[in-house]
Amino acid sequence: MRTIALLGQPNSGKSTLFNALTGSHQHVGNWPGKTVERAEGFFTQGEELYRVVDLPGSYGLTANSAEEMVTRTYIERGYADLVCIIVDAAQLERSLYMLADFAGVKSPVMLVLNMMDVAEQQGKKIDIQKIENLLKIPVLGFIASDLNGYPKFFKTLERAIEKPAMISSSRIRKFVEENADAKNVSVIEKLESLIENLKLGIREKFWMVSKLLENDSLVCFEVRNAVGEKRWSEIQRILDEMGTDGGLLTGEAKYRFVSEILRDASSSCEKAMSLSRFDKIATHRIWGKFVAFFILVITLAVSMMIAVPIIASCFGLQSVAEPLVVKMCESFGWWPSVASFINSVIVGGLAVTVAMMGFVFAILVTFGLMEDTGYLARSSYVFDSWLSRLGLHGKAFMPLFSGLACTGGAVCGTRVLDTRGQRLFAMVLLWSIPCGAKVSVVLFLASVFFGSAAPLFGVIYVAMIFASFWLSSKLFGNKLMPVNERVGMIMELPPYHKPHWKILMKTVGRNVWAIFKKAIAVIWLVSLIFWLVSYSKDGNVEHSVLYTIGNAIEPFTQIFGMRWQLFISYIGGIFSKEASLGVMSVVFASTNDAFSLISRNEAGANLGEMMRAVVSLPEALAFIFASMFNVPCVLTMGTTYRETHSFKWLLAIAGYYFAISLGLAFVVYHVALWVL
Amino acid sequence: MCLSEMKENQKGLIQKINGDSRFVSRVVSMGLPPSSPFLVLQNDGRSPVLLYSHDTMIAINRKECMQIEVEMA
Repeated sequence: MRTIALLGQPNSGKSTLFNALTGSHQHVGNWPGKTVERAEGFFTQGEELYRVVDLPGSYGLTANSAEEMVTRTYIERGYADLVCIIVDAAQLERSLYMLADFAGVKSPVMLVLNMMDVAEQQGKKIDIQKIENLLKIPVLGFIASDLNGYPKFFKTLERAIEKPAMISSSRIRKFVEENADAKNVSVIEKLESLIENLKLGIREKFWMVSKLLENDSLVCFEVRNAVGEKRWSEIQRILDEMGTDGGLLTGEAKYRFVSEILRDASSSCEKAMSLSRFDKIATHRIWGKFVAFFILVITLAVSMMIAVPIIASCFGLQSVAEPLVVKMCESFGWWPSVASFINSVIVGGLAVTVAMMGFVFAILVTFGLMEDTGYLARSSYVFDSWLSRLGLHGKAFMPLFSGLACTGGAVCGTRVLDTRGQRLFAMVLLWSIPCGAKVSVVLFLASVFFGSAAPLFGVIYVAMIFASFWLSSKLFGNKLMPVNERVGMIMELPPYHKPHWKILMKTVGRNVWAIFKKAIAVIWLVSLIFWLVSYSKDGNVEHSVLYTIGNAIEPFTQIFGMRWQLFISYIGGIFSKEASLGVMSVVFASTNDAFSLISRNEAGANLGEMMRAVVSLPEALAFIFASMFNVPCVLTMGTTYRETHSFKWLLAIAGYYFAISLGLAFVVYHVALWVL
Repeated sequence: MCLSEMKENQKGLIQKINGDSRFVSRVVSMGLPPSSPFLVLQNDGRSPVLLYSHDTMIAINRKECMQIEVEMA
């Protein structure tokens, strides 16, 4: 088996290439000991099995973030048999910087110029052969989204493996010397002699020196440990004296290296560049936000149109299937509890999961489209100032906003974020953003108990959500997004592209399937637990395990103002918001339905009346506030588990929201007891 | 002068980038090393500055723009 590492800047089409090469043979997990997502996949070509590692996207090889450290370490240790550098042919000069930064690592390499079609449309002429002659490595002009072009890719790959070729940093060293004054030239020679005894591995000495000059944390750490304190203090003195000039010097030289390659090999007609009319509005401080809201609302509405029929048909099928299961069990002579188990856990869990996959599918398509077309970056640009206060990138706006439609689906939408820390943090925030179902439960309860004052709860709710954002950023922000790793917004706004429907739908389909598999496991597990504790032979809640437990711990839950009926409804709310109303119908309004924590019973018409008769106002307040920050639903738990690849993080986030919701209930209940 | 003082549709050259090495490496790797020519696409005085350089549209926060020294071309 051979290992190929894909190395490229964001928006270079790296993931398109990765997905097209590996198809469904992918494995996504975490890099050992790191909060960075690791994606690898496999494909066979001829007799050979290839492993493809999709390295986290980065603009260069200097290690500033956890993602960049993973990429850099993988490259400089030579873990791959071949490094495949992908650059955007339409932005050749800038994206070849990655190649220049790589030069000096003695690892076999091939270069893929992606999006040749876009470059051509822009009137750029690129002579692939000339670039290949100059660099002396295999070079391919390519369109990653065109599945017919892959035989060409495999041919170039074969060449690269048969005749391994590398790029030296000697040209870059020459340009540094030409640019630098005599003093700086001697600095480079001095540094080279100071690290003489360093174990270089596959790295050239000048590559190490240039990383030293750029104050790269990994190289500084390594050199410091290797050369001893005395030499290091001398190196440090030199670096301090250079300041950031060192990084500017090497950076400029690397771009000269790139322009030298391109001087003869590419030509473009100079076009006067200006903002397109659409971009003028889309990036406007005020109008841009309206455009973003408008586009989001429209796309979410369209995605609802896709999702709602799926949801309706799911629950329709469920109601058809349930009597059939009962009949089947009767005819086999099985206990009624078997039918209850199959219906509640297996059929019910499947129906909920498939139904919610409608949302997940819709959100992934929507976001995929926005990313593909390049609009996502514009929306990030206009919302960055809001989100940077929380330490998040402007890109987080889209997933957070879509949390209003479906929390579980939006959790999958956090994929648009670049670092895993940002994704985890966005997920933490998302759990507090109510979906439509949660809002309706909270407002229903508020109107039952407080009548016309219910809208006030809406206002308080919004304020509390922002307060929880603040709390989350205090608790998680620094750990997940270290302040010293944050760089104020410097982002690329990629040119608009036509969406690649075929690849997009394939990728989304694969992801939905992968999410479904993880989610159904969690949902079945939770359903099983809920079914076990809420099962009673006669459907009477007082004969269930949960009643026994609830009654036993009632003295404890009373602290939060929750008697057993309310506490059981609260627990039901973890399953789904509708279930929490269903539970209340059974325990308060004694409807004829059998008690179950996972039932989707309609809230009976007299539910409000019955509750008002039994539940006191402080208790009602406690319950309403507890519901606001209750765990969203079992689907959200499923997708969060799948997206974090970590059970620990799922438990941490769930525990955090239990603490908030119960803490709030406690405070509200006791204040209300005192005031009312 | 610094980048945020440039007006819309003006052309310039990057002269020097101030700040810590993280910031410098970020700006350089995004395609704005010293002596890069650029064009200011949008600068409304409040939003991040939009500029065009090396075939790329780049948005930079105003605070960060103050750290980038430029000259008119």
